Amino acid sequence: MMATAGLRRALWQRVAARLWAAPPGARAASGMSKDMLPGPYPRTPEERAAAAKKYNMRVEDYQPYPDDGFGYGDYPMLPNKSHHERDPWYQWDQQDLRHNWGEPMHWDFDMYIRNRVDTSPTPVPWHIMRKHFLIFLGTMLVMFAVGEIYPSYRPVGPKQYPFNDLYLERGGDPNKDPPVVIHYEL
Amino acid sequence: MEPALLINTLMILTLLVILTPILLPLLSKTMKTTPTLITHTTKTAFIISLAPMSLFMWTNTESITSYWELKFIMTFKIPLSFKFDQYSMMFFPIALLVTWSILQFATWYMHLEPHITKFFSYLSMFLIAMLTLTAANNMFLLFIGWEGVGIMSFMLIGWWYGRADANTAALQAVLYNRIGDIGLILTMAWLALTSNTWEMQTCPTHMQTLPLLGLILAATGKSAQFGLHPWLPAAMEGPTPVSALLHSSTMVVAGIFLLIRTHYMLETNQLALTLCLCLGALSTLFAATCALTQNDIKKIIAFSTSSQLGLMMVTIGLNLPQLAFLHISTHAFFKAMLFLCSGSIIHNLNGEQDIRKMGNLQKMLPTTTSCFTIGNLALMGTPFLAGFYSKDVIIENLNTSYLNTWALLLTLLATAFTATYSMRMTLMVQTGQTRTNPAIMMDENNPSITQPLTRLTLGSIMAGLLITSYITPTSISPMTMPTLTKTAAMTTTMMGLILALELSTLTHNFYHPKQTPYMNFSSSLGYFNPLTHRLNITKLLNNSQKIATHLVDLSWYKKMGPEGLTDFQLKLTKTSTILHTGLIKTYLTSFALSTLIILSTQ
Repeated sequence: MMATAGLRRALWQRVAARLWAAPPGARAASGMSKDMLPGPYPRTPEERAAAAKKYNMRVEDYQPYPDDGFGYGDYPMLPNKSHHERDPWYQWDQQDLRHNWGEPMHWDFDMYIRNRVDTSPTPVPWHIMRKHFLIFLGTMLVMFAVGEIYPSYRPVGPKQYPFNDLYLERGGDPNKDPPVVIHYEL
Repeated sequence: MEPALLINTLMILTLLVILTPILLPLLSKTMKTTPTLITHTTKTAFIISLAPMSLFMWTNTESITSYWELKFIMTFKIPLSFKFDQYSMMFFPIALLVTWSILQFATWYMHLEPHITKFFSYLSMFLIAMLTLTAANNMFLLFIGWEGVGIMSFMLIGWWYGRADANTAALQAVLYNRIGDIGLILTMAWLALTSNTWEMQTCPTHMQTLPLLGLILAATGKSAQFGLHPWLPAAMEGPTPVSALLHSSTMVVAGIFLLIRTHYMLETNQLALTLCLCLGALSTLFAATCALTQNDIKKIIAFSTSSQLGLMMVTIGLNLPQLAFLHISTHAFFKAMLFLCSGSIIHNLNGEQDIRKMGNLQKMLPTTTSCFTIGNLALMGTPFLAGFYSKDVIIENLNTSYLNTWALLLTLLATAFTATYSMRMTLMVQTGQTRTNPAIMMDENNPSITQPLTRLTLGSIMAGLLITSYITPTSISPMTMPTLTKTAAMTTTMMGLILALELSTLTHNFYHPKQTPYMNFSSSLGYFNPLTHRLNITKLLNNSQKIATHLVDLSWYKKMGPEGLTDFQLKLTKTSTILHTGLIKTYLTSFALSTLIILSTQ
């Protein structure tokens, strides 16, 4: 009887352990004690070591934000690399966020998720991209301006009026001979 | 019977028929929507909408109807006023036929989808919003339809929401459309302020440039012109029926449709027309250049759509709105068909979208590839297919108008590139040796595939002829021009074709392909995406973070809140302490002395 009860408890524990959403050791955010929360800027090496341990990092990797009054405290300054650069084939604990449980998150992590900024290296260097794009855009704008100055149209000529350029209608003297206007060449 | 009454009744009936699959299940306990029900509803609506179109063709009756007003408060109301004119009465049957075909295709394409009914409901809601936009007589109803198609586009692109790339693409679509909406709202606000109306008839014909720029910005956003174009290729993350319906035939033409509806305001302002012309020319060439080096079949067709939208914008710039509408109508047929063919190819190849891994499909999928060929020929402007009647006339008008020379040259070059990338796509997909996985079961014998494709093929062949035969043009196209000008479109297309054939023989030579700057520029889509997205978004998000968290928090804690009060108090105290010299005896002596003096003078 006791053996089956113990066996059932072990089986339930295995089931609970398999629930990846709440692995053993998971805590709710409400159950944090004061020493788990971020604190002031670490000034002594012991404080730095304690802060590194708190953030689950190695002391060599731990680098806080500079103490310039912006209120970062002892939060680690992680490299500004977006989640696009993380290995898509590695089996992360959270595959869509490409994040492992317990890994320190960037201060601006919501900027670096896969739906936002991409900092991954481009195939073409940045200055070449900028140069080529600006050359393209500049050429287009200049050529459009040139095209406005020299537009394209069907061949046109000045309007030709009959009756010797409307000599009488324009108030010419009917008694005099009008100057002959011929609009053709033979 | 009175034709205007018939037109009003039948058009409203069409709209109501499409509304039924969404409204009735909400009102009834037993009725459930199914995909086939929605498909049949759309087919019914199509057949009903043929009657007003025929009435218009034979009697030239147009009607503007104001129904109901949804009055919220005295000054804010949504007026349901519809304009059933040439554009809306022609667009309804075309959009409904294309949607019916796509819905029938989607019953096969999405048959493994667990939420297929929701998918069909979304497509149905999109269709309602699009038809509202088309038939709207005032800017507010148009705006409702405009936003409706934008939101449905977001939901449909991000249909597979577990995929981060799809979410990013949907977000991109919404943000770029929003930037365009700024322009539309600007114009609406200007109209409301100056002419106190949003009705199309009473809008002023001579407007200042600013509201017209707003309209052009709205069209740039919605119709993916250069500058606000990256969302259209990214929108290919959505399922193929979504790409076929939204991002080829219907939603993306909403911007052009807005300019067609408001062309009375545009035609008097030469600056606005020139801007449309140049923007359209740049868009068409840029998209055609990008399409040349793409390897994803859906991306090539997406860039092709973008290029044709640029051509429509060019037509607006030439002050030919009716011709732009003709191109919208014919383009809907063959572009939707190209997308459906690509969907059939992708599903039959078990998800393969890369054209470098397709080949010899002419033998394996004969119906699909034949329709694909006809669609490509129609796109290229082959004489007497649908695309010819609109595209050739546009090029003729371009060549015989007074316009910017560079715009003309760019459009002609883009026409040649259209032929090049279409031919490249055809060659790599349908001909050559088989580069696909040999162990694939291909089956296109399903009537859900063949019937829509055949229907749209018939449309691609006949639509141009039918529409031009029965609709009288409002402006006369140039009838006389030299032979070279007349055959310019065909000549450039042939040159593009020859270029494509020549380039395809390059694979027969054994040489190592080089990476040139032009190839990099084209395949990276002009470097536009990384340059604009990374710079702007990083700056925006960084600054917003700093402002929202640091600046606001620090200002509340340090300056306005407790520490600010402390500093203020301390400063006050420190300055006022200097005044306190503490010389009590001197003060008392002065009080006593002054009192004595006053008393002694009394």
